[in-house]
Amino acid sequence: MRDLALRLLTYEAVADKDSRPMESATLRAYEKLRQSLVSFAGAAGFQSLASRALVLAQTEAPGLCAVQVTVDGALKGLGDVDPQTNMNKDQAGNQQAGEDPPGEAGAILIARILGLLLTFLGEALTLSLLRNAWPDATFDDRNSGNGRRA
Amino acid sequence: MTTEGKVEINKLPTGVPGLDEIVGGGLPEFSFNIIAGAPGSGKTTLAHQFVFANATPERPALYFTVLGESSIKMLRYQQQYTFFDPAKLPGAIRFINLSQVVLEQDLGAVLKEITDEVEKANPAVVVVDSFRTMVRKPQSDMELQSFIQRLALFLASWQATTFLIGEYAEDELRDNPIFTVADGLFWLRQTPERNSIVRKLQIIKLRGQDSVPGLHTFRITDAGVQAFSRTFGLTGHVKDPPSHRRLCFGIPELDKMLGGGVREGDSVLVAGSSGTGKSVLATQFIAEGIRQGEPGIVAVFEERPQAYAERASSLGLDLETPRKDGKLKILYLRPLDLSVDETMHSILDSVQKIGAKRLVIDSLAGFEMALSPGFRADFRESLYRMIFALTGIGVTILSTVEVDESFTEFPFSTYSISFLTDDIIRLRYVSIDGQLRKIMVVIKMRGGNHAKDIREYEITSKGVVILGKRLTNYQGLISGIPKHSDGSGAQEDALQDSGVEKNS
Repeated sequence: MRDLALRLLTYEAVADKDSRPMESATLRAYEKLRQSLVSFAGAAGFQSLASRALVLAQTEAPGLCAVQVTVDGALKGLGDVDPQTNMNKDQAGNQQAGEDPPGEAGAILIARILGLLLTFLGEALTLSLLRNAWPDATFDDRNSGNGRRA
Repeated sequence: MTTEGKVEINKLPTGVPGLDEIVGGGLPEFSFNIIAGAPGSGKTTLAHQFVFANATPERPALYFTVLGESSIKMLRYQQQYTFFDPAKLPGAIRFINLSQVVLEQDLGAVLKEITDEVEKANPAVVVVDSFRTMVRKPQSDMELQSFIQRLALFLASWQATTFLIGEYAEDELRDNPIFTVADGLFWLRQTPERNSIVRKLQIIKLRGQDSVPGLHTFRITDAGVQAFSRTFGLTGHVKDPPSHRRLCFGIPELDKMLGGGVREGDSVLVAGSSGTGKSVLATQFIAEGIRQGEPGIVAVFEERPQAYAERASSLGLDLETPRKDGKLKILYLRPLDLSVDETMHSILDSVQKIGAKRLVIDSLAGFEMALSPGFRADFRESLYRMIFALTGIGVTILSTVEVDESFTEFPFSTYSISFLTDDIIRLRYVSIDGQLRKIMVVIKMRGGNHAKDIREYEITSKGVVILGKRLTNYQGLISGIPKHSDGSGAQEDALQDSGVEKNS
């Protein structure tokens, strides 16, 4: 699941350079998921799912403790944690210092959302939702890990 | 357009096995329908089946959800059904949540949201689940009526077939404007009958279509809703012309008594008390049919097919080979909560699959016990419908029925159903010479003459064997306590010309 989340973020990071450089890849990926899910599950449905994912992600990435999911499902405070999407930058240094590597926290959050979708909806519907949100991206079913890895 | 210039209403498949026949061939295209019923009655599942059967990427289905069950949970559960094809989402089937607009705005905004989505997607099918929660906020009757009217008009104009789903109670039928506007009204019920649950479906209204009236039972399985029409799927079937062919039991003396066998397409009742050999006779009837190249079905309720086949084997009748060859089906019907319509569906399905000519129902008492308590009250009427339907397609039915043995009466059946049968063979015990022996008599044959003889028989390792000639030296045999014609009690020499081995 983490691989799939990283792929989505990488995809958004590439698009980031082309169009909206000020917005983080995590936020853009999250927003795409939000739009896609709100349309069929409602804002409240997405909000509760995202809140659960955030709590789960916070156990892996304590840096996300400052992040909140608002009533309409938007993400607040992520900019302070996830200023950029360069997954490799200073990764080793940050890990040594006990901090979340930049971009890693976002990947964890997105992975948790995908993990919950996989748990509730199964692989076929989750991938179908992703294809809808990222029509130009290609998703290989094998990357989902069948929900065993988050 | 038809040749007469009338508009032809296209009928859409409902996606629910059995329902197309009930609604008169399919659901009218562009109709505005309500699916009503209590929670858990199968409303959403029925709508999903329709959606999956009709939605295409070119003409998708829009499924609006409103409050109630969360869409994520709904999809989680609905995808367990075999009809659910995830590949259809979101291209052909699109779920749209309207909770926010319903909670925060008025009906005008809800209508605008729906019209915007419909205009964007050009759907063939629109579902609102649940419509009841959509209009629950306090508003004037006029506002509600206007909303429903505009919604129905809009969706019909946009050539969408619509389902509104709602948790309605039956006493709301009279006053709620939604029921006036609707073209079709499907009511699903789930009623406890002692320890069983019976599900029934009623088409209260369906404009422009000749639906089958009445309450139809349905079941929800892993394949979704399956409906069982009261007409058993035989609507429009022309009754086969009467046949003059005779079907034998393979028991020469009995076949002679029956004037050569039972007439094809007859309903035969074999009545007798426990141990008189009703099932043996029925097994011989089915085995002889197979020997003659007539596939058969045995519906058993009191034992498993394997046990039934093994019992036949002990009589020298091989049922295993025809079972393997597809010439015989032994149906073990799940006991305790069946409906007759559902049983009929299983039997008809098998009749069509193997081209069955003979059917044994062993026994009517077992059949009745297998039914849900609510259906037992209608057992006689249900049997009538079933026998009429099956004999109408040329199947010859032999049913066994246990009767309480009385030494003062000679009943044919405990169900007062003898009028439903063409032929009756009665088996009974009789007390002769200190022995409990068995006699057989053909009571009735609607299709012709039959022997009036009362014959003694035995059950041997070869099945039912009729002994010697008719019993001539007794009076009152059918009472079970005969008297010898000379006025004495039953005499030892009475059967001496019959070849019966005398016991000392």
